[in-house]
Amino acid sequence: MDATLVIYALYLAAIYALMAIGISLVWSSIGMVNMAYGATFAVAGYAAYFAADSIAPAIRSWSTGVDGMVLLAVLTVMAGMIAGALFGILVYLVAFLPIHDKPNFAVRSLIVTLAINLAAVQALLFAFGPQQKALPRIFGVGRFNLLGTPMRLDQAITILTTIVLLGLVLLWLRISRRGLEIRAVMQNSEGAALCGISTRWTALPVMMLTGSLAGLAAVLLSQSIFVNPSAGTTPLIKGLTIALLGGLGSVPGAVLGAILVGFLEAITGIIPFLGQRYVLVVQFAFIVLVLLIRPRGLGGLLDETRE
Amino acid sequence: MMRADKPAASYAKVGRRPDEVTLKPDGGQLWHRWRPPFSRRHWLAWRGRYNPKSLQRERLLVDKRPLWWTLGLGGLLIAVPFLSDQFVNIAAIFCIFAAINVIWTLIVGAAGIFSLATMAVVGLSAYAAAAANVYLGLPWPLMMPVGAAVGLIFGLLLALPSTRLDGLYYALLTLGIAEICRVSISQIKALAPSNSSINGVASFIPSAWHLQRPGLLLGFAGAFVLLLCALLVFRLVNTERLGLLLQTAREDEAFAEAVGIDYRRARWLVFVLASSALGAIGAFYAMFYRSISLAVFSLDQLLLLFAMIVIGGLGRSEGAVLGTAIVVLIDKGLIGLGPLRIIIVTAVMIIVALTAREGLTGIKAQFQAFRNRKKSERRAARTEKGGEVMPEEATEISDKQLIYRRLFDKRLRDALKSSITPDLIAEHRAKPLGQHSDALDRLLNYFRREEMPDKYAILRVGPLRSCSYRVMALSGRAGHPPRLVDDKLYPTLDEAYHAVFLLRINDLLAS
Amino acid sequence: MSGTLLAVRGLSAGYGPLRVLHDIDFSIAPGERLAIVGLNGHGKTTLFRAIMQLVGWQRGSILFDGKEIGGTRSLGEGRYTPGIVRLGIAMTPQGDAIFPGLTVREHLDCGAHAKTAWRDRTRRRERVYQLFPQLDELQGALVGKLSGGERRMVSIGRALMSDARLYLIDEPTLGLAPKVSKRVIEALVNIPLEGKAMVITEQNVALLSGAVSRMMGMHAGRLRGEVGHVGLA
Repeated sequence: MDATLVIYALYLAAIYALMAIGISLVWSSIGMVNMAYGATFAVAGYAAYFAADSIAPAIRSWSTGVDGMVLLAVLTVMAGMIAGALFGILVYLVAFLPIHDKPNFAVRSLIVTLAINLAAVQALLFAFGPQQKALPRIFGVGRFNLLGTPMRLDQAITILTTIVLLGLVLLWLRISRRGLEIRAVMQNSEGAALCGISTRWTALPVMMLTGSLAGLAAVLLSQSIFVNPSAGTTPLIKGLTIALLGGLGSVPGAVLGAILVGFLEAITGIIPFLGQRYVLVVQFAFIVLVLLIRPRGLGGLLDETRE
Repeated sequence: MMRADKPAASYAKVGRRPDEVTLKPDGGQLWHRWRPPFSRRHWLAWRGRYNPKSLQRERLLVDKRPLWWTLGLGGLLIAVPFLSDQFVNIAAIFCIFAAINVIWTLIVGAAGIFSLATMAVVGLSAYAAAAANVYLGLPWPLMMPVGAAVGLIFGLLLALPSTRLDGLYYALLTLGIAEICRVSISQIKALAPSNSSINGVASFIPSAWHLQRPGLLLGFAGAFVLLLCALLVFRLVNTERLGLLLQTAREDEAFAEAVGIDYRRARWLVFVLASSALGAIGAFYAMFYRSISLAVFSLDQLLLLFAMIVIGGLGRSEGAVLGTAIVVLIDKGLIGLGPLRIIIVTAVMIIVALTAREGLTGIKAQFQAFRNRKKSERRAARTEKGGEVMPEEATEISDKQLIYRRLFDKRLRDALKSSITPDLIAEHRAKPLGQHSDALDRLLNYFRREEMPDKYAILRVGPLRSCSYRVMALSGRAGHPPRLVDDKLYPTLDEAYHAVFLLRINDLLAS
Repeated sequence: MSGTLLAVRGLSAGYGPLRVLHDIDFSIAPGERLAIVGLNGHGKTTLFRAIMQLVGWQRGSILFDGKEIGGTRSLGEGRYTPGIVRLGIAMTPQGDAIFPGLTVREHLDCGAHAKTAWRDRTRRRERVYQLFPQLDELQGALVGKLSGGERRMVSIGRALMSDARLYLIDEPTLGLAPKVSKRVIEALVNIPLEGKAMVITEQNVALLSGAVSRMMGMHAGRLRGEVGHVGLA
């Protein structure tokens, strides 16, 4: 296995980890399977596209050097993340708030988020048509050598950004008051209520946070694929499978699952008689196999998960 | 002397639902039940009773669902010949999807296995049956058995992990299997040379009639029979022994296991049965369209089906059919709207999921529960000052007089409690048998009205001349002796009277 | 600030058709330590849960510091609990360790979750450690891995971290060895009240006798023992 492949695998793993952790976090803290995550992804991709499209000329006229590039990249990523967070708020308002303390919440919220996903994809199709939009290469297209390994700049930046941002999120969960709230609700929502922590108000930052993670993933992945209305479906399915593979609710499990699936995808892609079209099948076959051996995913190996 | 045979109509209108339609049978007919020959089942759930207020004989239909089924399906059957070609086709598609959804409901609702491989089973059997017909020359009447056999085998494979995995994990697994099926079919070049679809499948509709009105009507008739068969399968599985076993597992798995019910086997059996039925439907699907393509495996199709069973209500056959009707009407009937159709379907989905606990068919029960809850909450709030009925409790009491009796009793006790003073007790000690003041009389009258259980009595101990007395409490049940309250001995009868009085006051204050 | 801190009038509560509490009346004044004694399944825990609005349905008035937190309600359990906690009632639930995956320190911080208390949390933690010196060494340990007695201390410590004026301690000695039980009760008795009040439920009367200012019995969903019986000598 050569280094380019490893970098590519890590690149995929980074994006999948963002999606999977988002799904996992929402499930473990507020007990909802967020099927609208694919729509969040697509909406954020469109928002980033339009943001980049509208500000790119202004920035180019201001500076064409590195500082202009960095500004554009930061603004695009910000636009995607903010759009993701806003969509997260929408999902919170529609799918969580009205029914979170009603019977049958898990199934009903799954239905509602699924419907939001379908509706959002159709609405995007309605508004922007099925044409694919290409985001500007905000990280450039250059290559550089690291310790003798050639690397694509955008892949390297993606991996770095993901590691830094995920690290920050996990750190924030560890040390801040909000993070403590979220983890308390995750473990025992009635106990949290007895501490004065309201599930309603804890769920909002969770949805915003995971929405912006999806937005980040959308911007990062759009460096190599195009944005279109149903762009979110594949990341959603992959994120969901990885979250389940890692054992729902387990962050380390999701990261491990993402790395495994990333490598699997990278390797499947280069095996001659399999190729790209078999990526999903091989992944599903792998996950079916893992679930047959470990019915609750990998998570149980690493920490306790929500029942 | 003449007597009115029937009471006045207004007098007969009593009870909670005075306008409910009831039959007024004569004599022994009240209890008579018709059952089909050679069976031990009744088709309709009649209940005979004497109306508790008017004392009239009444028969009422407890479960009116058979009526609604007959009305709905019969109406469809009568209406279809008068519809346009497009709507005849929509009706036929509705019947096929409804059949699939009814069987899927059996898997998801009755067996509680969250399988998303429904369309995979349908598609795989459809491909198998179509291939058998086109390449092996199998005549069309044998296609459905072949489809059922393929469904059975596929169901057996799918069922293996179903008891090991739960909920979402199994759903994901089946989704993965569906995807694997789609890709592998698309890669078998020998099976489907052109665009992965098999065309020119033989059918129960003569090929001359294809897409002609008689053909459409015949297609609808076939689909209608298919739907009836699916409903029969649902009914046979869900309400007979197997359904009962599954219900125990749905209510409490651990308990079902503890009493020796092998619910895993029951689930497994239902799953395999349902898969086989889905296989037969798949063969029908291929015959109906005269071709089969990969679209049957698509995720969008599956999600649309999911929307159907969710809108109607998971776990009920009427829900599956109702949801299918709504979604098919929107999806196929408003075809001019384009992508807006899906948005309408999702809007219906969101509204139903947000407001109804269990889909459209659960709305009635949910509304009744809500109304009962609000009623009893109001009742509890009204009687806060001294009623005895709690929220949620009043709905369990069918005799509303009991509620008012408790209210009255509570108020009386509160009034009596406030009248108890040391003076009153001193008065009773001085003259246990009377002449009493008004307050004491009221108190004693209340005590006299108490119920028999735990009522106090006085027991004489020892010989008549030098006897003493003890206090005992009656059991209130025939054959069960009274018990002694304490071991105090009272030398005179008056003292014993007074002791009983004090005990009763103590009970009153502690209540 | 004399008078009553908590006044419960005609409180009935239960789950579904089951009625657990029958017209409970009691009140507690600032500075009081009240014990409610009764056997398992007689409604002690339900009483606390009704005060926190965590039961299926309830009826009757609960005045906390002059503010009504009771009323007639069915369904919606737990919806108003955070608000009641913010008013100043801290309850330690029966059993232990409500967040098994958090460390002792994080667990205590959860108690000081309110904004004003959060700034002050270090000082409050020190106070809890003074009361339970054992916990000082276990700051980083996961609560789920502690022994029963330690977990109970964490649970009580968490209640002490908040700004509560009323502590509801549910069965502090449940499932503990007699020696540990005594220590826990001692610690509870040593907590300075300073105008706050505490209600403890307990099954073992002997453990609490002399340690509390008042004791009430609970039997079959009714409070017994507080009411003076007339005329019975």
